[in-house]
Amino acid sequence: MKKFSNLLYKEIRDLINKQLVMSLLMMVVIFYFIGEMTKSEMKKAAATQKISVLDLDQSALSRGLASSLKTANFKVEWSQEKDTEAAVQAARQGETYILLVIPKGFEASVDRVEPTEISTYTFLRSFSMGGMTKSEVLRAVIAATNAYLSDDVLKKKVPDVSPDILKTPIKSKDYIIVRNKMAEGSASAISGYVFSQSFIIPIILFFIIFYSSQMVISAIAMEKQNKTLETLLTVPISRTAVVTTKMLAAGIVGLLSAAIYMIGMKSYMGGITGNIRASAAMTGVIKQLGLTLSGNGYVLLGIALFFAILCGLAMATILGVLAEDFRSAQTLMLPIMLMILIPYLLSFFVDVQSLPLPAKLLIMAIPFSHPFLATPNMMLGRYPAVIYGILYMAVVFFVLVFIAARIFSTDRVLTMKLRWGKKKVVL
Amino acid sequence: MTTVLKVEGLKKSFGTKVALTGIDFEVQQGEIFALIGPNGAGKTTTLRIVSTLLSPSGGKVTFLGHDLKKEPEKIRENISYLPEEAGAYRNMRGTDYLKFMANFYAGNGEKAEEIIRRAEAIAELGTALKDKVGTYSKGMVRKLLLARALMTKPPMAVLDEPTSGLDVINSLEVREIIKRFAKEGISVLLSSHNMLEIEFLSDRVALIDKGRILDTGTSQALKDKYQAPNLEVVFRSALR
Repeated sequence: MKKFSNLLYKEIRDLINKQLVMSLLMMVVIFYFIGEMTKSEMKKAAATQKISVLDLDQSALSRGLASSLKTANFKVEWSQEKDTEAAVQAARQGETYILLVIPKGFEASVDRVEPTEISTYTFLRSFSMGGMTKSEVLRAVIAATNAYLSDDVLKKKVPDVSPDILKTPIKSKDYIIVRNKMAEGSASAISGYVFSQSFIIPIILFFIIFYSSQMVISAIAMEKQNKTLETLLTVPISRTAVVTTKMLAAGIVGLLSAAIYMIGMKSYMGGITGNIRASAAMTGVIKQLGLTLSGNGYVLLGIALFFAILCGLAMATILGVLAEDFRSAQTLMLPIMLMILIPYLLSFFVDVQSLPLPAKLLIMAIPFSHPFLATPNMMLGRYPAVIYGILYMAVVFFVLVFIAARIFSTDRVLTMKLRWGKKKVVL
Repeated sequence: MTTVLKVEGLKKSFGTKVALTGIDFEVQQGEIFALIGPNGAGKTTTLRIVSTLLSPSGGKVTFLGHDLKKEPEKIRENISYLPEEAGAYRNMRGTDYLKFMANFYAGNGEKAEEIIRRAEAIAELGTALKDKVGTYSKGMVRKLLLARALMTKPPMAVLDEPTSGLDVINSLEVREIIKRFAKEGISVLLSSHNMLEIEFLSDRVALIDKGRILDTGTSQALKDKYQAPNLEVVFRSALR
């Protein structure tokens, strides 16, 4: 045990070097600042917005429209210009993002129930999310104003009937069914919310598996490059211990790096998605439909991730033996990276269950697919699929470890080299 | 004299390439036994097999009564191997490297300290041992590795080209260290291209070429047999 801990300590020390610590710290700091800046931009966008209004009609209705903007959290600044061109010019030089122009004859046109046109000018001063939000809010205000005006006209024309009945004679009540659970709500809104809350999980999985695999493959390649592997293999410690300590150290440091990475990522994503807050009604619907992970669900997800890391480490160990040096080790990461990327990207865009059988089997054969699919599977109650996935990864892991241990206990650990068609044997 | 290492009919192939055709030799306690031969003769392969890095394709290797195939762990406990192009962990300090290696052999901290003290004396690197190995010259790394190989006073040290790439002064120092330890009872199996070095160091020599041993004996006996002034001429005569 002392020999094992001696070697494990060395492996962890090898991996936690200045470069790793610096890059992780930098990443956290950068993400934190981007997140904070985004958050402040989003706050600004959600705060009271200035809007310039050029009222060329000067009617009761035009003033009513402007006051409806005030209730929608806009601070109205009346433009004193004589015409649209001058108002646009003035707004361009100022800090206003939106200019609303109410034309002459606006009230009269509404009274005659004729199509009425107001003009809005949005000054796109940046392509940030905050800028986009402003114009979206304005569009919502115009929609609300239209509703107000049309209701007003309908009340005058058909006083006995509610404008709502006239405008939407067919009412729909939307229900969402997930397995045997049903709740009233919009499917797109619920899907959007669930996605916004769970899309971070595949990112975490991607980085943990990738980091750990890269660490072990590099560790073995560096032993070869620095000519230390031969000495290490002749000290009185079992070859299995040599393999295990490398994998264990990479697993520990990989998890640690991923945790630190996620702290930074959380700050960053918090800035973007921080404004997405579920209403009490939506939270109720989500709970009612069981679209949340239970304690057991998180445990299963953890186990799935754990076995995926182990599979990655075992694969990286085998590929590391083929590497001649650190550079070739980076190339050998390609198959692992592809196997992680395929399910990672698919988890965003495709429902694997709906794919044709050969494609589905191919994706299921990749061990890394299973942790990516675990969250949606559990939310949709497909627990057996998650458990089979874990069992499959366990089998793959043990087969890979057996192969890795065999390689390390034979000459192959020294003689195996991927030299693209050439064989090298040292006599 | 006690035989510590016995190699009988040792064969090794890498696919279709035959590296050793069936070689035999023995090493006695406290003896420096050298394998000399050209590149590709099978020297390194022999040393790697004895050190348990490679497995033999045929024949038998016994060390202190332990069969290499059946008890490789026992062999590893008793043999120290210094590969020709070995390196040390560049990010470790010299003392940390020695401590890391000592911990595989020492049962407790006190024993480990004793081993490290011995290694420091062998390496003679002084305060440089507190520096990172990455800052060392080739000669310093070689001395550190030699200290690592001998610090546990193993029954046998297997040294592949121990002075490879070293300057004259460092080579002399390394040879003296090897000689000194052999006198203390450590058996040494080494390989070298340098015939003069072999003549100075070894008690007995095996001439090896194309995976077979051409002849074995003391330097003087071989020179007498082939009526040659030095081992280089002996080797050329043996090849004929």
